Amino acid sequence: MDRSLFGFIWRYSKRQQLIILALTVTSFPILYMTLELPKWIVNDAISGTDFPKDLFGIELEQIPYLLVLCFMFLGLVVANNAIKYVLNMTKGVSGERMLRRLRFMLYNSVLRFRLQRFRRVSGGEIIPMITAEVEDVGVFIGEAIATPAFQGGTLLVYITFIFAQDPFLGAAAVSLYPFQAYIIPKLQRRVIMLTRERIKNIRTIADRIGETVSAAPDIHANDTARYHMADLSDRLFINYRIRLAIFKRKFMIKFLNNFLNQLPPFFFYSVGGYLVIQGELSFGALVAVLAAYKDLASPWKELLKWYQNLANVSTKYETVVEAFDVDDKMPSERLGGDESDSTVDVGNELAVQSATVSAGGSSTEVSDVSLTVSEGEKLAVYGRDGSGRTELLMTMAGLYDPVSGRATLGGKRFQELSHCTIAKAVAYVGSDPFVFNDTLRANVVYSLRGAPQDEDKDELAMLRRAEAILTGNSLHAVHVPWEDFGRAGVSDADALDDRLLELFEVVGLAGDLYRLGLSARLDEAEAKRLADKILTARSEVVRRVGEDRKLADLVELWDPKKINFSATLGENIIFGVPTDPGIHVWDCAHNKAIQAALRKAGIFDRLVKMGATIAETMIELFGETGADASLIGDYSFVSADELPLFEERLRALRAKGINGLREDVACAFISLAFRLIPARHRIITVDEELEKAILTARPILAAELKDDKDHSLFDVKAFSEPLSVEENILFGKPRADRRGARERIDELLRDTIASLELRDPIARAGLNFSVGVAGGRLSGGQRRRVGLVRAIIKRPHIVIIDQVADGDVALLDSIKSAVGDATLIIGTADPAVAKRFENVAVMRDAELVATGSWDTVSDVALGNEDAA
Amino acid sequence: MSLDADLAALRKIPLFRGVDDQKLRLLAFMSERTLFDAGEDLMVEGDFGDVAYIILSGQADVLINTPTGRQKVASVKENDFVGEIAILINVPRTATVTASADLVALGISKEHFFKLVSNFPDMGVEVMRALAQRLERTTREVGRLRAQLPQNG
Repeated sequence: MDRSLFGFIWRYSKRQQLIILALTVTSFPILYMTLELPKWIVNDAISGTDFPKDLFGIELEQIPYLLVLCFMFLGLVVANNAIKYVLNMTKGVSGERMLRRLRFMLYNSVLRFRLQRFRRVSGGEIIPMITAEVEDVGVFIGEAIATPAFQGGTLLVYITFIFAQDPFLGAAAVSLYPFQAYIIPKLQRRVIMLTRERIKNIRTIADRIGETVSAAPDIHANDTARYHMADLSDRLFINYRIRLAIFKRKFMIKFLNNFLNQLPPFFFYSVGGYLVIQGELSFGALVAVLAAYKDLASPWKELLKWYQNLANVSTKYETVVEAFDVDDKMPSERLGGDESDSTVDVGNELAVQSATVSAGGSSTEVSDVSLTVSEGEKLAVYGRDGSGRTELLMTMAGLYDPVSGRATLGGKRFQELSHCTIAKAVAYVGSDPFVFNDTLRANVVYSLRGAPQDEDKDELAMLRRAEAILTGNSLHAVHVPWEDFGRAGVSDADALDDRLLELFEVVGLAGDLYRLGLSARLDEAEAKRLADKILTARSEVVRRVGEDRKLADLVELWDPKKINFSATLGENIIFGVPTDPGIHVWDCAHNKAIQAALRKAGIFDRLVKMGATIAETMIELFGETGADASLIGDYSFVSADELPLFEERLRALRAKGINGLREDVACAFISLAFRLIPARHRIITVDEELEKAILTARPILAAELKDDKDHSLFDVKAFSEPLSVEENILFGKPRADRRGARERIDELLRDTIASLELRDPIARAGLNFSVGVAGGRLSGGQRRRVGLVRAIIKRPHIVIIDQVADGDVALLDSIKSAVGDATLIIGTADPAVAKRFENVAVMRDAELVATGSWDTVSDVALGNEDAA
Repeated sequence: MSLDADLAALRKIPLFRGVDDQKLRLLAFMSERTLFDAGEDLMVEGDFGDVAYIILSGQADVLINTPTGRQKVASVKENDFVGEIAILINVPRTATVTASADLVALGISKEHFFKLVSNFPDMGVEVMRALAQRLERTTREVGRLRAQLPQNG
């Protein structure tokens, strides 16, 4: 990467810069003409004499002459603005492209950092560099050459003009420029230093904020919030001080510049005036010089602004680039994919010879270790944390390069092999594999995403590719399938899913997957695929519930002709749920369509009254007894804050009646009524009359809401997207007034699902489960198992696993059977795991202290633990 | 099926005799009406339970495990309170209670009960008073029975 901003600009945008310059130059004569033409119009056309005049060989009378000149003026104005538009667009586009290129280069550098570097730099520092810090660079690039050329040119013209009038005055006009040229960069240099400091300080702030986010539990547990606040407050103070120092100098430069600019007129008046009085200079010339000098100020100011901008931007550029441009980066060919020449099949023997490894810093994690693992061997590397076990395994996976000695795959050093070659042969799972904020499926097929499997075909494809070429970006399309089925040994997506289910079974995640699938909400495509099966299961459940009185006691199915006493009144009246699963059914009371439908069904007022009764009861139960907020929060329909609000609303209702109530107040009452579950909350008795009212309202609401996108109505023959798989199959509610209904329903569902062979499709739906930020919705054990599936799915020849199986011998056995003939190297600190291997290598204090069967090495291995 | 009916049932329970109506109403709101079919167990001897039941309608048999099988020792009916020890301390159920006819009960869980007591300490005091009375009665009974035992050293 170019260390200097201009190097970067020149190398990648030479052509654009020249175009911008050319456009700028073209605009000169046009601009000049738009100033000149009005003079002609006034002097020649309007107050001129001796017509007809000759224009481009055509004789014109006064009026036509005037009109022609005026249209020429109009044309020039249009041309001038058109050129300005094109110029601005060109500047903007070339700036944006350069910014894109720069950002991509920086990101590319991050991917080429060796792992050791990541122990020293944090995301918190890198993120603002790639995002915010380089932003100004893009804006500046369009101006980089055109502005100094244009303003400098203008300045030169004016100076020449002044010199032509009188060399002495010309010298006076420029006399202070050398001084300015000397003093301003001096001051600016200090500003640059300060800008650097400021950037570093802001990076630290970003880093601290990032740490605060990840360390939130520890901060609260240790009560150190005040410490962190003080720390950040101090950083902000430093920032203020730097800013202040920058301001002082920046405005001093401005002051000096303005002052020095206004000094020459002093000479013009004094010296020039003297010369005029003495008769050595004409009065007209002095006036002309004064006018020209006034015009000098503007380009000079622009030049200075540009200079300050340049200093600022190139400082930013340099501080960013030096952070990324490190010497030990991996060569970019190693990141190339299948199409690069560096992909070779090298064989599967793994070896380290006298390898010494440092994981960053000055310490040595692995010292002079030699170990050979032949194809198909099963080896345990036993060692406590800090023994160098992990670093040795990572070296054998090609992730760390030894500082001395060799690490080889099939006799070739890892450094000489592309990542593609290595990843095809070797899979590595660390003790805490990273899980992306995506679905479970995306996380496990991650290892198959070596290269796009299809061409980019949408309408933007051509443009996307052309722009990528122009800016040196990635030519791969991202929105096409990347999963290489061949690598997983399957033919299509369905087969891949089947294989994934098998592997989830192997690592013991099948049960979890099934449960996730039950509670999953299916996306449209998945819903279409599974709807039939789910509806079959539903009808099976309905049948069994109909036949078996015991089951009928457990679940109340959705029946358009019956009230579901175990569901909320809201669900009962709408006979459906909001489409957005994040919205509670009682929030529907605030939906305009629902309100209109309720009015139409003639049930609006009644619900408001019911809501009022509930509000009264809540106030009586929770408000007047003086219950505390936690009790209210857990049991009341109305939060502690809302209680007084509802008292007020009730007063309003009593004073004005329902019709006098504000719409939102009425709906707040309805919302309360919507929360009521008749079988549980016995505030309002659903008698026959109310039942009839609700059942009459249902079809009216259904007709009103038929095409409403916000609500999904229950239909026994249709899959409902906002409901989970489980809710879709059950199509009803566990009875609120039966004990243990939940558990027995689970059993019913399990039976039904098993008898219809729905278990697999549901587990498959579980693959769509979204795992949250960094897999936060999975447990540590689940994340490690996801890592395992990710490693095994790509059918590597060598599987290296660190600590994943510790304390779980059953998992170890399933891993062993899953990898089959492949080489398996397991790092462990658990003797029970090591014991199950014929070959064990023992690491202690960075050295390989023993190899052999567990019986022969166990004394050394465990002696190690005793000594600790 | 209304809160007032449940309140009336709660008011008849000696344990809650001194508790004022407002709080009993809250307890009624927080407790759950539960239906049992004839033959269904409300609780099983030896299990750890955390719900006490006030029978609102129907009846149930109280059974105790003996070496010869389950023996009926009593029957409970409307307004009887069963399993109340479970909402006070953690002990296994001392008897099995099986509905002998379809039954409706009001279930009061330990969690809800304790939340109420910790919210309203005076309610706890009333419950303590009722328990103390019961203890006093039992102690007197034990003393009377002991006096009736033949004196044999």
